[in-house]
Amino acid sequence: MTRQEPLRVLTVCGVGMGSSLILRMTAEDALRDLGVTAKVEATDVSSARSMGADVIIGQGMHTGELQGIAPVVITISNFMDKDGLRAQLAERLGELGWLN
Amino acid sequence: MDFLADVLQWTATNVFSEVAILIGLITLIGLLLQRKPVEETIAGALRATVGVVILFIGIGVFVEGLVAFQTIVASAVGLEPPAATRTLGDFLGEYGGAIALIITVAFLIHVLLVRFLRTRYVYLTGHLMFWIAVVAAASLVQVFGAVDTWILVVAGAVVVGLYWTIQPLYIAPLMRKVIGSDDWGYAHTSSAACFLAAKLGRFVGSKEKHDTEKLVLPKQLTFFKDINVSTALVLGVIVVVAAIFADPDVLAEQAAAYNPNISPWVWAFVAALRFAAGIAILLFGVRMFLAEIVPAFKGISEKVIPGSRPALDVPTVFPFAPTAVMLGFVSGTVVFLVLMGVFAAVGWFVLVPPMIMLFFPGGGAGVFGNAVAGWRGAVLGGSINGLFLAIGQAVTWGMLSDTAPELATLADPDWYIIIWITLGIGALASALGDIGIWLVPAAFAVGFAVWLAVLKRRRVDVVVEPISESAPLERPDAQASVTSEEERSTKEPLPAPPDASDSR
Repeated sequence: MTRQEPLRVLTVCGVGMGSSLILRMTAEDALRDLGVTAKVEATDVSSARSMGADVIIGQGMHTGELQGIAPVVITISNFMDKDGLRAQLAERLGELGWLN
Repeated sequence: MDFLADVLQWTATNVFSEVAILIGLITLIGLLLQRKPVEETIAGALRATVGVVILFIGIGVFVEGLVAFQTIVASAVGLEPPAATRTLGDFLGEYGGAIALIITVAFLIHVLLVRFLRTRYVYLTGHLMFWIAVVAAASLVQVFGAVDTWILVVAGAVVVGLYWTIQPLYIAPLMRKVIGSDDWGYAHTSSAACFLAAKLGRFVGSKEKHDTEKLVLPKQLTFFKDINVSTALVLGVIVVVAAIFADPDVLAEQAAAYNPNISPWVWAFVAALRFAAGIAILLFGVRMFLAEIVPAFKGISEKVIPGSRPALDVPTVFPFAPTAVMLGFVSGTVVFLVLMGVFAAVGWFVLVPPMIMLFFPGGGAGVFGNAVAGWRGAVLGGSINGLFLAIGQAVTWGMLSDTAPELATLADPDWYIIIWITLGIGALASALGDIGIWLVPAAFAVGFAVWLAVLKRRRVDVVVEPISESAPLERPDAQASVTSEEERSTKEPLPAPPDASDSR
């Protein structure tokens, strides 16, 4: 599977307004560090199902239900932890050969 | 001079009263300040503008569904549906511009307060920045009537800016107990329920003995986390049951207004779905403009206040006790539904279950309760939230009947408190005539100043309390927390507490 350019990333929370937006900013920083061009959007769990993303990032409470919706589903527990997210992204994107 | 007056008049009518355009302009300035590329700046400003338009459409659908729900349930229990002379849609149409300006001015006030009083936490929960501004404006207009826009903006902004400063600060000691670090603060209007849950929790249980995360809840509960599903289901069931007991003429009339040929039973269910859909649309609109504005707020605060911490939305505490979230939600919902029956039985008020507010503030109060008293604290927290929402809705609807009564059905615990304080002071101050409105922000400011002075005198270190090295790290992300601990030591030093002599 080849990587989309830009990578479509969704950050997810219950309503898609508060914490997913903070997570979006954390994800944008982490992806920039990795040199991946990405379009990151914050959304709610219901909408995420139909938005066709490459990567979904959210807390465990939601990612459990979103497995299989996107090729990469990443579970985080600290919305501000850029380094932790970057490490997870590097590992999972690396597995798919999506890191240049 | 006439020309100048005409220009001002035109701007007031076409820019400051058209909330979509005003929000678009504010977003444009925010994106320009962040030095975004031209195409992103224009696209972002347009997205924010469209978001506001969508918000208004959502409010229209939501209010329609709300009225249908209240009419049917009221008829079933033999009550009059709650009355209102104005709707939220009308209110936002007229005062939306003032509200957008309140958000902007309040954020400036807030940033200055955090910077100079070193209160450390910058409020970044965007949708609540919007709603608290709406709540403050509605309360002030309710008491003081049609005041001059600039007076409303400044008075409202002081109230709102102070709230954003006070709320993360007073809950901070408990927040550190919940997340086991000081990486971010808590910015959510459930704080009153969370505070009570944690403070009263120690009388009911202990974290060690009753930790929620040792419990296993039935898996079927999890689909309630999707608020579209839970709103549609709970309201659908209630309205269909209510339709059985409602006056058939009322039911038929309501259904016929929607579609002359539809079965009233199907209509009742569709009405509940339209209520859920209205909320979903409304939230979608809010999300669209927030996605553009909040990063600007974050960027500005990081530049102006180095070393500050963001105060974030309630789900940021959910990973620390997911089971407590469900317990808080379920217990609050049970309490609310019981009170719905009780209020109807005594003929007091037709309550509408606010599923989002039962889930998020209930979940937050559950997590805070668990941090002190385990599952007993979580159930206590949820129940406190259920009580707040039921009593708050019944009491507050009538209080805002001339502005935006629907706010009473969308409110979190802190909204009610802000409304009650504002209306209370306002009722006293309105005797003073036009200058009375200034008493409201003045009272908030004096209250805040006295509280800070007392804390300083008692040397209670709310503002900065170093986490001891040996403090046990909270589940579930020991690893992530370690990273951030390390990261912290390499960052610049934390801002000093207010009583330190450091003048940074």
